[in-house]
Parts: sequence; C-alpha cells; structure tokens
Amino acid sequence: MSEPYRYFLIFLGAMVVYNIVLIRFIALCPFFGVSNQVETSIGMAMSVLFVMTMATTVCWLAWNYILEPLHVGEFLYIPVFILIIATLVQFLEMVLKKVSPPLYRAMGIFLPLITTNCAVLAVATEAVKPGFLKLNVAYHFSLPEALIYTIGVAIGFGVIIVVFACIRERLETSPVPHMFRGAPIAFMTAALLSLAFMGFANLLDL
Amino acid sequence: MDDGTTLWDEFKKGVITENALLKLMVGLCSALAVSNRVENGVFMGVAATFVLVCSNVLISLIRKHIPDQIRIPIYIVIIASFVTIVDLVMKAYVPAVYERLGVWIPLIVVNCMILARAEGYASKNKVAYAAVDGLGIGVGYTLVLLVMGFVRELLGTGKILLFDRTIVSLGSFNPPLIFVMFPGAFLVFGLMIALLNRYETRKKQ
Repeated sequence: MSEPYRYFLIFLGAMVVYNIVLIRFIALCPFFGVSNQVETSIGMAMSVLFVMTMATTVCWLAWNYILEPLHVGEFLYIPVFILIIATLVQFLEMVLKKVSPPLYRAMGIFLPLITTNCAVLAVATEAVKPGFLKLNVAYHFSLPEALIYTIGVAIGFGVIIVVFACIRERLETSPVPHMFRGAPIAFMTAALLSLAFMGFANLLDL
Repeated sequence: MDDGTTLWDEFKKGVITENALLKLMVGLCSALAVSNRVENGVFMGVAATFVLVCSNVLISLIRKHIPDQIRIPIYIVIIASFVTIVDLVMKAYVPAVYERLGVWIPLIVVNCMILARAEGYASKNKVAYAAVDGLGIGVGYTLVLLVMGFVRELLGTGKILLFDRTIVSLGSFNPPLIFVMFPGAFLVFGLMIALLNRYETRKKQ
C-alpha cells in the first residue's frame, strides 16, 4: 500500500468510519452542550481542531523521547498526558490573547472547556500509546500518521457538531411531544444520525 | 456539614436526587459507550466508584493545605494517580475486560463527574461526608449503567451473559441488533430521560 493512500485511509477512517461522537461516544458533553447555535458550534470545532493537533504532537514527542526511553510510560502516561494537555491549553490561551485578539475572542471561551474534554486525552492516548485499538487495529503510529489521525478525528467532530446544531435550530420551532422536550429529543436525533453513520461500517479495510 | 444532614441523606442524594447521569447529565460519554453489556457496566461502575471515593477522601483530608490558585491541577494529579491504580490492576487481573473497555479506563481522569465532586464537594466537607458522597454518586452511576446494560443486552442479543454464564434468556427470539450497536445507546438513554420527565410532571400535577 502506498504511503499517501494509507494516509488517506487513516484520515477517512478517523473522520467518518469511526466517528468520534456518533460511533465512539467520546466528547458528548460539548456535543450536547454547545450545539444550540451554528455559530458557537463552528467556534468550538475550530478550537478542538487546534488544541487536539497541538496536544497529540506534544504527547507524541513526550512518549517517544522521554517516557519510552526511561521505561516509565506504562504507569505514568495518564498523569503526564493530562498535565501536558492542561498546561498546553493554558499556554495557548495566553499566547492567543497576546498575538491574535480576534482569534482569542472567537476561541477564548471554549479553551478552558477543552481541558476537560475527554476527546483530547482520548485521541492523544490512542494515537501515541501503543496497545490501544484505533481504527480497529493496534499498531504504533509514526508522527505524521498520528497527526493525520488526529486531524481526521477533529474534522469528524467538527462536521457532526455543526450538522447537529443545524438540526437543533430547526427543532426549536417544531412541535415536540411534551415529555421529549429538551434533552430526550436531542438524544433521539443523535440516535438517527448515528444510525446513518453505521452505514460507513466496514467501508475500509486497513 | 453542620446543618444536620445525616450520612444516609448524603448517600440518597447521590443515588437519586442528584444522580450524575439522569439529573445532572455529566459523565455521559463513558456511560453510553460501555453500557452495551451488563458485565462492562459492572466493571466500569466499580472502577469509577473506587476512583470517586478515594479521590474524595484524599482531597478532603488535605483540603486545608491546598493553595487555592493551583487546586485544579492538584485535583487532576490525585485523580490521575487513582486512575493509574485501576488501570494497572484491571490490566493484570481482568485483561479481557480491560481490552473491551479500552481507552475508557484512562478516560476516567477527565470524567467531569469526578472533578465536579472534588471541586464542588470534597474540597469543602469533612472526610466521612466526602467518602459517602463519592460512594453515593458512584452507586447512582453504576445503577444507571446496569439498567441501560440490561435493557440493551437483553433486547439486542436475547440473553444476558455475566462472567461467561447466561443469567437471563429470552429463548427463541430474533433480537434487534440495533440495541447493542451505537444508536441503541442514544435511544435507550433518551427514552430513560423522557420517562423520567413524564413521571416528574405526573407527580407535580
């Protein structure tokens, strides 16, 4: 299999076949929390893409150049990765505030939320630490592969959250039975979307 | 707490009135993902309860020594240490379950339910109350996982398998596989909240 083709498969697999929200149930809090309006959901999607890519890069470097050579990765990876992510988010917030105020205004409010967004830790762990299943195979990703996987996951999250926000804006004005108003109808909608995404199952064979 | 609430009240609060999943809707991700089988629910529930109780107790013990500005990183490190214990123990003793739960065990660190209890309760209350609060929230979480796991596994596969033994079987029944698949989780959880809403509006009238 040629390199670019493999990269393409990893990207597609991460984005739609194993979609992070609908197929794997990661990052449901921002999914239900900020999907009320299309505009905020776009801001959230952009911030997640940004933070996730940075986090995977730093965690990959930490794993391959610090934790693995010292043979401490197996029992230190959880605290190390979560601290890297928390510090990174703080740092990005300060840098953005200084360097690009418009970007900070667009992303600022989402950044603290992202620290506790399980998607960032999940993707960093899966893409970096060997032994976790990703795209139904467990092999060790190189840095470019890990980055392509991360970007695929983040775009998959972004597309779904924006689509869901569009649906929810329409739902606001629809006559929903009383007991289903609010959260329940959102879950029903997610179930239907998830059903649609099941159509991608077994699409590719990595 | 000095306002006369007993430990039993704290426990009930965690299980029923402030149920993390059904009422506060935190910690949803792991609940929806692992509730496809009763057995997964049992292990995930026990793991999360262990982390909740231990981190609540430790944070409550050292609450007067934690500087206010860096409290969140300290909580996260404490929680991460207990999650590491769970991670290594499960990998050693129940490797098959560990494989199935996969990334969800390290993800207990970022379960908002646990950090919310640390910040909102354990950092302000006495050790005994913090322990019972953690236990209550953990039991409430586990119960919802078990109910969801029971409904999904029974309808989706026609029987309940627990530790390689069939507990309940529906006999010759062609199971709708969708319940153990991904949409089933959203469907069953949505219906649970809808029924709860209905029950509460009925009670009010």
